[in-house]
Amino acid sequence: MAEKADVWQGTLALMVLKTLDTLGPLHGYGIARRIEQTSGDLLAVRYGTLYPALLKLEQEGFISAEWGISDNNRRAKYYTLTRAGRKQLEKEAREWDRTTGIIARFFSPSEEAS
Amino acid sequence: MRALRAFLFRLTGLWDKGRKDREMAEELESHLRMQVEDNLRSGMTPSQARRAALLKSGGVEPAKEACRDHRGLPVLETTMRDVHHALRLLSRNPAFTVVTVLSLALGIGANTAIFTLLDQMVLRRLPVRHPEQLQMIWTTGPSLGSTQGSRASSYPMYQDFEQRATAFSQVFCRYYTPLSISLENQAERVTGELVSGNYFQALGIGPALGRVFSPEEDDRVYQGHPVAVLSYQYWATRLGADAGVLGRKILVNNYPMVIVGVSAAGFSGIDAARSPQIRIPIQMKPLMTPGSDNLGDRRRQWVQIFARRKPGYTMQSAQTSLQPLLSGILRSELESPALRDAPQRDRDRFLARKVLTESAAHGYSGLPASYSRALVVLMGMVGLVLLIACFNVASLLIARAAARQKELAMRLASGASRGQLLRQLSIESAVLSAAGGAMGLLLSVAMVHGLLGFLPTNGMLATLRAEPDWRILAFTAALALATAVLFGVAPAWQALKVDLWSTLKEAAGSVGGNRGSVRLRKSLVTAQVAFSFLLVAGALLFVKTLLNLKETSSGFRDADNLITFQIDPARSGYSLPRLKAFYQQVLENVRSLPEVKSAGYAWVPVLSGREADWDVLAEGQPAENRETQAYVNGLSPGYWRTMGVRLLEGRDFEDRDAGGRPKVAIVNRKFASHFFGNRSAIGRRIGLDTGLQAKPDVEIVGLVEDSLYEGPRQGVRRQVFFPFSQMNQPVATAFYVRTLADPASLFATLRRKVQELDASMPIYEMKTLEDQLDETLGTERLSATLAVAFGVLATLLAAVGLYGVMALTVARRTREIGLRMALGARQGVLLWMVMKEAFGLLGIGLALGIPCAYLLSRYVSSQLFGVAAADLGTAAVACIALGSVAAGAALAPARRASRIDPMQALRHE
Repeated sequence: MAEKADVWQGTLALMVLKTLDTLGPLHGYGIARRIEQTSGDLLAVRYGTLYPALLKLEQEGFISAEWGISDNNRRAKYYTLTRAGRKQLEKEAREWDRTTGIIARFFSPSEEAS
Repeated sequence: MRALRAFLFRLTGLWDKGRKDREMAEELESHLRMQVEDNLRSGMTPSQARRAALLKSGGVEPAKEACRDHRGLPVLETTMRDVHHALRLLSRNPAFTVVTVLSLALGIGANTAIFTLLDQMVLRRLPVRHPEQLQMIWTTGPSLGSTQGSRASSYPMYQDFEQRATAFSQVFCRYYTPLSISLENQAERVTGELVSGNYFQALGIGPALGRVFSPEEDDRVYQGHPVAVLSYQYWATRLGADAGVLGRKILVNNYPMVIVGVSAAGFSGIDAARSPQIRIPIQMKPLMTPGSDNLGDRRRQWVQIFARRKPGYTMQSAQTSLQPLLSGILRSELESPALRDAPQRDRDRFLARKVLTESAAHGYSGLPASYSRALVVLMGMVGLVLLIACFNVASLLIARAAARQKELAMRLASGASRGQLLRQLSIESAVLSAAGGAMGLLLSVAMVHGLLGFLPTNGMLATLRAEPDWRILAFTAALALATAVLFGVAPAWQALKVDLWSTLKEAAGSVGGNRGSVRLRKSLVTAQVAFSFLLVAGALLFVKTLLNLKETSSGFRDADNLITFQIDPARSGYSLPRLKAFYQQVLENVRSLPEVKSAGYAWVPVLSGREADWDVLAEGQPAENRETQAYVNGLSPGYWRTMGVRLLEGRDFEDRDAGGRPKVAIVNRKFASHFFGNRSAIGRRIGLDTGLQAKPDVEIVGLVEDSLYEGPRQGVRRQVFFPFSQMNQPVATAFYVRTLADPASLFATLRRKVQELDASMPIYEMKTLEDQLDETLGTERLSATLAVAFGVLATLLAAVGLYGVMALTVARRTREIGLRMALGARQGVLLWMVMKEAFGLLGIGLALGIPCAYLLSRYVSSQLFGVAAADLGTAAVACIALGSVAAGAALAPARRASRIDPMQALRHE
């Protein structure tokens, strides 16, 4: 199996929020799979990182959790984006755009030349 | 906000941990299963699928642990674990725990008790709107009239201020007077307050029921407002909080009045020490104080003036703005007929009078200032007691830490950080101090109840409460915390200074800990001795003061068998002639009792702190002798015989003096020698009128031995006495009855004798003269008793501390002592060796304590009587007392040292 980067905390929260925004209520496994797939299997999401991050988001009120039944009839805990979570997502997405924009400018050769 | 939410979430995470753990396990399990199913679908065998799933997601247990950390509050959880641990340790060592908690509880309880009184009598602001704006106003200098009570002004002067003072939004006044209230035909005596109509408005106090007074409705017509407002406390306790009292008629001084309201709960008045049960518009004054009107008289000063400052003025600028106003008032007063002929000298002094003000945010207390001073001193003393107790606990903790040194070293060696151990040790002290604080709070309630017994009981202190409120709770909590820091930090620090290597190397635990801890304990004991000296010396000073005051010859013989009681028929509506007749009848009724030897009565009760003084003009008085003040009293015939005071010359008053022709007087020895030197006073004439135009028309017919007037602190006064029958105002009197029987057995009989004449006549203050003296010396008794209690407590605590340290020293030196014995040292020498060390500590403590006592003594000198603050004898007695207690404490360890078996001692590690 190829070496996969472990997802890092700050961005994981953003990815979780975005995933829930796109797919609606989802259980932990679904979130993990979705993130891995979206990353083109470049990222690996482990329990040890995912579940504390979910708990933290829940404590902060960005997501809420509820037990439900999964597609294949299993009991699973489903996470839903709250209104505060949606706001937080917009805010963080904006900040992310800004940050990446700044970083990108540092690495664009044309700017350096002028 | 988010952080708070997360915190609350985590806090709830502390409960119901089991369920949350199970949920977490279930969630991870479902995650794993889904992964396994996906793997199966992609063609793995079941065992491969499970293995791959586990590998991919990382371990289940670490994930659970990571979540758990996120869920609860790790800090709180470990703290609770430490508390649990501390409780277990303490319960394993009950003797230590009980001694520690008890000594802390005593210290904290005593501090809380004194603070409760200090807070209520000195520190607390009035519970009114913006108390910081309140200011009391009074004037200095000669009033050229009569003055009643402290800081009093005349009512017309109050009116001038009320109308013309621009710096104040409201100016109001009040006057306390005892009143007789008749509810359901049962007369009772209460404290009433006559107030200006704007009193409640100015203070911002509303009604709990009905209405309070307003300037429009209740301050317009002279004698025209027969209405009363009850205090909440009186309404709740005496009338059962019955809403039906509104509009009910009551008799106040036999005058029908209507209850129109009850003032707000929690408001007791301007004087923290005295809460009136009823308030009445001041325009009713003539009816409330029969025989004296005073409302329109500028020469009679009796109301106390308070005011609410307007915003924009400071206390000083407001005071300054009043001075021109006062000067104008004084100038116009000098034009009045009463003062027109005053001599120039008096006019100048009169015009030089000044306005003074003072913040009334805390109200103005009628209690003597000596109470608050005594409380401050006692607060200091009780603080020292707590300090001594803390030092003992610290010493015990050091000893315990020393005993646990091996355990601590072991834990350090196996990876615990010093911070962790420090936290655990501090939590142990915190648990101890919390327990001590909680017990102390309970103790303090009982102590305050006890303390209140020392203060005067005549209803004045009804507002003082023993129940702790949040201020007291906060004080106790702060105190407990401070003690924990005081006694906890040093031992913990000491304990963690262990040298890991050498401690673990030692085969058995060392007995006494390292050198540093012994030195620390010795310095704590030294400080304890020094503090104890302060307290013991202070206690001796206060006891001597009390004894000196009590032994000051009052001049009254055998005060134990002298009963006194007071009656006030004017408040039941008696006119002057009827009142005089009534007193005469009471006297005859009492005298007819077989147990009664003699009886008499007086206008001003003696030894009660009360007084009346007039300027006296004496015929043939040397011109340069301007000191004309004399203390007066009106007496019935037979008074002197009853009091057991010798008549030196002339005669006692007789019934024939009642007519007032000629007017007669008796003077005491001090009066006679002041005015007449060594010539006889009998037959001389004096002027007794209060005004400036007194004529010397009173003849002195008797000379009596000196006796006390207000009380022992004030000493013997120049006194002049006139027959009560010549009194021209219907005043209250104090009766004095000398009995052969047990005084207490006579109380009921005396009551009956008075009530045979008037069944509804209230009788109050019935007691022996000895008890009266004790009450007057309330402050001194309080100071002396508490100081002795603190001194004894401090000495005992210090003795325990000394014993502990000496026992420790002996234990540490067991081997050395054994060796000395083996080499032939005698028991006596060894005994002395230990005692010498104890006396060394005592000596250093005293050497520190004595100069401190000397420096502090000037703070108590105003509380003392007949003994110098820096009294050598007292210091010597305190030294001897402490020395013998210290010797006693050190003797047991010393004897143990001298009886050590050398063989065993040498084997001792």
